Amino acid sequence: MVKHHPPTDFLTEYAAGVLPVAQSACVAAHLSYCQRCRQTVGKLEDIGGAHLEQLDPQPVGESVLERVMARLDDPEPLRYATSETSETALPGLLDRLINGDYADLVWKRVTQSLSISYLKTGDPNHEFALYRIAEGGRIPEHTHGGSEMTLVLRGGFADESGEYHPGDCVVREGWDKHTPVALEGEECICLAVLDAPLRFTRLRHRWLNPLLKLRAG
Amino acid sequence: MANEKDAGNAQAANGNGKWNVPTGRRTDEWSTALVLIGESQDRGAFTRFFRHFAPLIKAFALSGSSLSATHADELVQEVMLKVWQKAGGFNPEKAAASTWVYTIARNCRTDMFRRLQKFDTPLASDDFELESEDEESFVVLHTRRGAERVRELMGDLPPDQAQILGKVYMEGKSHSEAAAELDLPLGTVKSRVRLAIQKLQGLMEA
Repeated sequence: MVKHHPPTDFLTEYAAGVLPVAQSACVAAHLSYCQRCRQTVGKLEDIGGAHLEQLDPQPVGESVLERVMARLDDPEPLRYATSETSETALPGLLDRLINGDYADLVWKRVTQSLSISYLKTGDPNHEFALYRIAEGGRIPEHTHGGSEMTLVLRGGFADESGEYHPGDCVVREGWDKHTPVALEGEECICLAVLDAPLRFTRLRHRWLNPLLKLRAG
Repeated sequence: MANEKDAGNAQAANGNGKWNVPTGRRTDEWSTALVLIGESQDRGAFTRFFRHFAPLIKAFALSGSSLSATHADELVQEVMLKVWQKAGGFNPEKAAASTWVYTIARNCRTDMFRRLQKFDTPLASDDFELESEDEESFVVLHTRRGAERVRELMGDLPPDQAQILGKVYMEGKSHSEAAAELDLPLGTVKSRVRLAIQKLQGLMEA
C-alpha cells in the first residue's frame, strides 16, 4: 500500500502537461503503483477537458478535414512493447528507459554501499538516476540546493521523517538534511530526479562531492 | 475586469467573465460519437466529431500564441488522427469525451513542442499512458460526473484563479512560467492554483 505521494502541485503540472520530462516520468511511474493518485490525476485532467470545451472555437479549413479523412486508412504507428523477459517488474516506461535488467546498467560506485546509474531522459535541467543501496546501507548525510524527487522501486529505506516502500514517492525541496538508510533484508533501488546535485555535508564525505555534479540530459 | 486582457484568448472567461455551462446531453452526444467511431469506424460520426472538436483543438494550439497557424493545423490533424485510431479504447463510463480529447491534444502538443525545439528524448508522450485496467465502478461514475461538475463550477472561480488555471492548462505554462509572465511570486501562483483546485475538487468529492 503506497503511503507517500507527490504533492498536488506536481500532479497538477503533470495533468496539464507542463511538468519537465524527467519529473513526469517519475510521476508516471508512481501512478502505476498508486490508484489514489491515478484518480486524482483523472480529476485534474477533467479540468483540462472542461477548459477545452470553453475555448473560443477557431476556424479550421475544409482542407484539414480532407487531409485527415484521406489518412484514416493509414496503418497505425507501432508502439514499443514492454519486454516480457525483463526481470525488473517495473512500470513499462521505466522498463523502456532501463532497457534490460538492473545488472546490465552502468553502475558508478560512490561509497561502499551506494552505487548510481544515470539514465537519459533528454531533460536539460534534471538528473534522472537510479540509486542502489546495499541492504542496511547508509547514504551519508546530505542536502540539495534544489528539489529531489525519490521513488522506491525495490526494497525500502528509512530516514529522519519516515519509512518508504516500493511505490512511495517523496519530494524534498531546498536544504533539508537527511540520512537515508536501506531497510534490512533486501537491497534498495530508488529512482531519484534532481535539479541540483547531492551535497554530502559531513567533512569525511565532502571530498566525494565533485563526483556528484549534476548530470542532466 | 483588469484580468480579461491578460487572460488572452478568452479561454479563462467568455466575454462577461462567466463560463458557459454545457448541458449533460452535449457531453453524451460526443461520448456516443466516440463509441460509434471506435466500434464501427463510423466516418459520419467522425466528421461530426471533427467539426465540433477541431476548432477547439486549434484554439488550444493557439493559446498563449505558442504555435503558428500552420503548426496549429498540423496539430489538429495529428490529434484527430489519434482520435480515430484510439477511439476503440475510449470508455464512456470512465472519462468524459472532452477530457479524453484534451489528454490526446495535450500529449500531441508536448511532442510537437519537443520536435520544434529539437529536444532529444527517448520518451514520447504516449509512453506515459498507463496500461488500461479495471478501476472499481463507483470510482468510475464519480469521475464521469466529476467532469460535468467541474464545468459547472468553473464559473464560480474568482477571475485571478481562473486566469492562472487557463495559463497552466491551456497555454501550457508551468507554475514558474506563469509567475514570470504575470509578474507574481511563484508562491502566489501555486497557492492560487491550489485554491482553485480545492474548490473544484472539494465539490467533486462531495
